[in-house]
Amino acid sequence: MSIMTNVEEKSQEKAMTGIQLLDEKLGGGFPRNSTLLLFSEIPAEKRIFAEQFVMAGVKNNETCLYVDFFRAPQLARREFTKFGTYPEDKLIIVDATSSQLLLPCTEKYAIKDVENLEGIFDVVSRAIREMRPQRVVIDSVEFLADRFPEEKVLDFWRRLSAEAREIGSTLCFLFINWTYDSSGISSMRDMTDYVVEFQSIISGGVVRSLMRIEKLKDGGFKTNWVPYTFKDIVGVTVYFPRILVTGPFNAGKSTVVKNLCNTSVNIDRMGTTVAFDYGNVNTMGLEAEVFGTPGQERFEFIFKIFAREVSGILLVVDASRPEDFERAKSMLKLVGPGLPFVIVANKSDLPDALSPQRIRDAIGLGQDVPVVSSIATRGVGLKEAFKLLAQQIIGVK
Amino acid sequence: MLRTVSAPSAVGELASGPPSIDIFPVNYSVLLAGPSGVGKFEYFLDLVKQSLEQGKRVIFVTLDIHPAEVRERAKAIGLDIETFEGRTFLFVDCYSAISSDKPELDPKRRMYQVSSFSNLEGISMAMAKASNDLKAPVMIFFYTLSTLFLHNSQQAISKFMQIVTSRVKTHLGFIAYAVHEGVHDQMTINLLRSLVDGVIEARFTEDLRSEIRIHHMRGLRADTSWGLIGGPAGIEARNMTGNALTGRIEP
Repeated sequence: MSIMTNVEEKSQEKAMTGIQLLDEKLGGGFPRNSTLLLFSEIPAEKRIFAEQFVMAGVKNNETCLYVDFFRAPQLARREFTKFGTYPEDKLIIVDATSSQLLLPCTEKYAIKDVENLEGIFDVVSRAIREMRPQRVVIDSVEFLADRFPEEKVLDFWRRLSAEAREIGSTLCFLFINWTYDSSGISSMRDMTDYVVEFQSIISGGVVRSLMRIEKLKDGGFKTNWVPYTFKDIVGVTVYFPRILVTGPFNAGKSTVVKNLCNTSVNIDRMGTTVAFDYGNVNTMGLEAEVFGTPGQERFEFIFKIFAREVSGILLVVDASRPEDFERAKSMLKLVGPGLPFVIVANKSDLPDALSPQRIRDAIGLGQDVPVVSSIATRGVGLKEAFKLLAQQIIGVK
Repeated sequence: MLRTVSAPSAVGELASGPPSIDIFPVNYSVLLAGPSGVGKFEYFLDLVKQSLEQGKRVIFVTLDIHPAEVRERAKAIGLDIETFEGRTFLFVDCYSAISSDKPELDPKRRMYQVSSFSNLEGISMAMAKASNDLKAPVMIFFYTLSTLFLHNSQQAISKFMQIVTSRVKTHLGFIAYAVHEGVHDQMTINLLRSLVDGVIEARFTEDLRSEIRIHHMRGLRADTSWGLIGGPAGIEARNMTGNALTGRIEP
């Protein structure tokens, strides 16, 4: 019983995002009592993260307040259903659009006049005091920045943060910077504990979404740019568009791809991969496209094609064949430095398999390079290796 | 790898008269400016028609007119948008979500909806996603910028337009914006004109006929003489002239 309460209390200390890998990085989630800024300089998908954050809250039975300046609440509520069903009474929407559209308002809290910042503040702060939400989202600050003087908007921010802190809720502002110069941005950052920055890149006509989390206060950190994607019902997941599985001939790369992935295909000739393996992993709130290359030197050109735009590498070696380690080393060189990788010491159940430490020494790797013993045929060690790789890719600067 | 922007390398010669779709390079941006009612919308529809007939892919961003009305008015010039919708034509609809709480949700006609005119970011993302769906290069028609000014500051709109234009030009293809003249101050219009490669002007003559011309097109030598387009109401004008919107009609 006491253990149960402990777990309960522990989970309440942090506002988890529901994106497992990020929650781990954040030690369970964003602290209560903190202010977040979801920021981008150019258009990017911030709202989906804010919605994910709110849905993670309501599904955890927390009351969440969403101040929406852009959408009619009916529309917002309908759009939230893309995360699956949720307890609707836990989601309080502050309606700022009905008055603009001269529609009847069905929500408990409504902003009557969007041109009156004091009025907006009164409604939001009353909702915070009365409903005592654990999470508050303001969508978004650029709506205010476009209507009111900068110092008034910053003051609104300051006062709202104080209100949220008083009841111990996590406050989250969305902001795309159409208007402010660097001094405005830095005043915002001063009042913020975490900045989640968003970026969207169009490459080959495909929009790719990236985010990174920066902790600004006490012992701050900054993650790498983390690619993410959205799936109906599942929500936001970290998404690596290309993980490479490589290694010397007959190390068991195809088996690694096959047994790591939920779905996979292989192009082989008499059991040896001659083109590539492809698979899709979806585990631990993490999705990745996995590409396995053939190990023979004559297929090096395929390797070079796949080695572009790689997020990270699983380097598979046969733990019982130290004579192949030289080849493994040269394959690492081919992709160049700076790329996160994990060594998968496969076939570790064979009698003469080397220990991870001996493999590390034999290949001449630093102590910080993860080497994971695996038995790919039985799926042993693969998820661990993949997770270690994911953590490395996300990284902390 | 550097992407080559396929702006015309040699200085080209443009035909006179209402500019047809063929004169616009891929990776190019233009602004169509003219007073309300002059026929900007009809001119856009005609460009849409030409594009679709040539097998080009088109995105129509509508802020002023309901998609259903766009379809209706397109029929009047002999363009059945529905036959192209979802395949080579997509709407980015910023209109219906604010006009009622039941936006059109027909799975056959895939459509990108933006919740509000203030949601510039949403408009930009919807355009990127629609282009992604159709596959670049696409022809984007934005009708109109003027509506954004009712809901956003000039600064925000300029930055929005700059970002969208550069994204479109480097990744997506061609974009044409329409703006109503006479409702913004001249400084604003000048700023908008400076953010695009080419400007097309439309005006009324003294007897209320509509004229259109290319003002300038960066990298191209343009015939800047005025040519007639349809009258104030495009559909009637079509009946009067028979072929109001294509080809040059001598005054």
